[in-house]
Amino acid sequence: MKFTLDNIDGKLVGIAELEGRLDARNGKSLKKIFLEWLEMTPLTVFDCSRLDFIDSSGLGAIVGCLRNALEKEGDVRLAGLNAKVAMVFELTQAKRLFSIFDNRDEAAASFAATAGSGTGQ
Amino acid sequence: MKTILVFREEKFAWAHEAFPFVHPLLLPLCNKPYIEYPLDLAILAGSTAVRIVCDGRLDAVESYCEDGSRWGIDLSYAHMHPEDSDEILLGKNRRFCGDERIMIVRGFCFFVYNKRFDYKSEAASLPECKWAACPAGGSITLYGAPVTPRKDGKDAPMSIVPLDGMANYYRASMEALETGADNYVLPGYGVEPGCAIGRNVVMSKSVQIRKPVNIGNNVQLLGDTIIGPSAIIGSNVIIDRQSVVESSIVLDNTYIGEHLEVNGRVASGNMLNDPVSGASIVMEDPHLLSGIRESEILSTLPRKLTHALIALLFIVVLSFPFLLFAMLLRIGGLWKSSRIECHSEKPGKTISLDNIELDVKKPLGAIAAALSMDRYPMLFRVLTGQLSLIGSTARVAEAKHPNTPSSSLAYRPAVFSYAEAEEWPTTGGDAAIVERYHLAHSNAAADVGLVFKAFINNFHKKSSA
Amino acid sequence: MNITETSNGGVAVVALEGRLDMLSAPEFRNNRSIIDPEKTVVLDLEKLDFLDTSGLGAIVGASRQKQNLACGIVLSCMNDKVRRVFEITKVQTLFHIFDDTAAAIDFATNRQSAST
Repeated sequence: MKFTLDNIDGKLVGIAELEGRLDARNGKSLKKIFLEWLEMTPLTVFDCSRLDFIDSSGLGAIVGCLRNALEKEGDVRLAGLNAKVAMVFELTQAKRLFSIFDNRDEAAASFAATAGSGTGQ
Repeated sequence: MKTILVFREEKFAWAHEAFPFVHPLLLPLCNKPYIEYPLDLAILAGSTAVRIVCDGRLDAVESYCEDGSRWGIDLSYAHMHPEDSDEILLGKNRRFCGDERIMIVRGFCFFVYNKRFDYKSEAASLPECKWAACPAGGSITLYGAPVTPRKDGKDAPMSIVPLDGMANYYRASMEALETGADNYVLPGYGVEPGCAIGRNVVMSKSVQIRKPVNIGNNVQLLGDTIIGPSAIIGSNVIIDRQSVVESSIVLDNTYIGEHLEVNGRVASGNMLNDPVSGASIVMEDPHLLSGIRESEILSTLPRKLTHALIALLFIVVLSFPFLLFAMLLRIGGLWKSSRIECHSEKPGKTISLDNIELDVKKPLGAIAAALSMDRYPMLFRVLTGQLSLIGSTARVAEAKHPNTPSSSLAYRPAVFSYAEAEEWPTTGGDAAIVERYHLAHSNAAADVGLVFKAFINNFHKKSSA
Repeated sequence: MNITETSNGGVAVVALEGRLDMLSAPEFRNNRSIIDPEKTVVLDLEKLDFLDTSGLGAIVGASRQKQNLACGIVLSCMNDKVRRVFEITKVQTLFHIFDDTAAAIDFATNRQSAST
């Protein structure tokens, strides 16, 4: 999991690249490391363009991250979901919790536009 | 008037892959097995006898449709080669055809018709011609002279949608649901149009049904679920609390968990398919799956146990010769042992086996081969359940093709093979014939006999060579 | 098992009656027309009641020996039971199967003249 910080119109946005599989094995470690990222900025984009597979534990981890971010008045936005991952989000209605974008640049730019307070629509 | 329905395996291979638990010709389309649509059409057109012709297996179709008395027609079955022309098909079924007018319906297709029109007089009066066709290969052709003179009036509607993938399957199902009982004969009891419900459907008070829907038998809809609009729910389905099924097909034997939203999807077993993108995901449900696996183990347990017992017998009886020969042959340099990776019974998995090559040109090697000494180490794998005692010759897994070929449904790697027992050629397609025969016909007791037969055949073959 | 053989032009019609199994397979295998690689045979199975793997093996083996692999042996009039044995073993893909012996003879004659 690669994490980079980007400065967009004066806002610090963290961009995390998720890769491969997100399941019971690495879901916990994502939640743990996310707390560290949260120290740096409450605004995070999960770039899922290289995420192949997600199961319910992985989904739970992402929702957990979102909850933590919301507590700090931040947000987690998603970008570049492939068809399979998108299907999991739709099936579980988790789609409604997140703002989802086609690519990471759009997702990062959206933080600048909405002043970082929205929780998605 | 008689009808020949012609299906080519190649055309419905996708359905077999996507829905492996049902024969593609029995794939439910709006809760009615597919085959009934062309059958209905044949009956509407006035057929008294229908023959289903296919280049693949039809046994599942046969046990569902039987002799057709349910529809008041004579139903029979026959085989063909994929490349057979209509002319050859008429020849192959000459006795069936007699001197009647014949309608040949080709293709795994959805036929858009309307039961309120008079197809019978149209089929009887049209000249010899292609009645309808679609570019992807579906067609309806009439042979033989017209029986009655052409009547005036409106042509009955007839068009063909090829069922060539999930997208068209989804479209055809929705078409059948939406035009519904107006055009097609659909199952289920409906108090009002657009809403058909099967037997033994349990729903809690808080369930919302939004037309059109078609619900099969033995269905449970739990609290606060929303079904529809445009939902086809198969038989033996549970939709758990607060889930939504809209514009979707839920096939038989499927469980949809709590708080899920299924929209524009095809759900089958634990697979969820997106007909537009073609993507599919697995819906996890540990409880449901563990139940299925257990029963699988239970049903194969007596067989596995028998195999293990007989393997143990072989191990004990052959232990002394094995130790002796292994030692002597190793000293003589006639014993070459290596490890090979073979396909396991579970798709996609491999097992590593000891491959022993004996030099059969030397008498000592020949005797060892006759006693099947080269198989001895494999016997222990039967005890652990990794191999069967009798089944298929283990196939070497090639790095290039890591998956077992999809055609090898009967593949069960084993110490001895059915081909050896029956003295069939042990390699290639011919061995597969005998494996398929025994997959359908054998049981634990027959297996025991065949094991000894294989052992004795090996003995004769190797000792005479 | 009874084997009745008639000739129809260049095509031999071999009718089997009874059971084709391990006991009767050798008799079938050694039949003059079956063994001749150049002879095209229509195998009339109308009165064949029973077929097991040995019998099936004999038929498959015989067709393998024919010069004209695709239609050296053409089958006709099999009953449902025999048809199912062909089906589960996928052997039906190796043969042309007719429901009428006359039609099978026409087909075999055609193919024979086409190949020579």
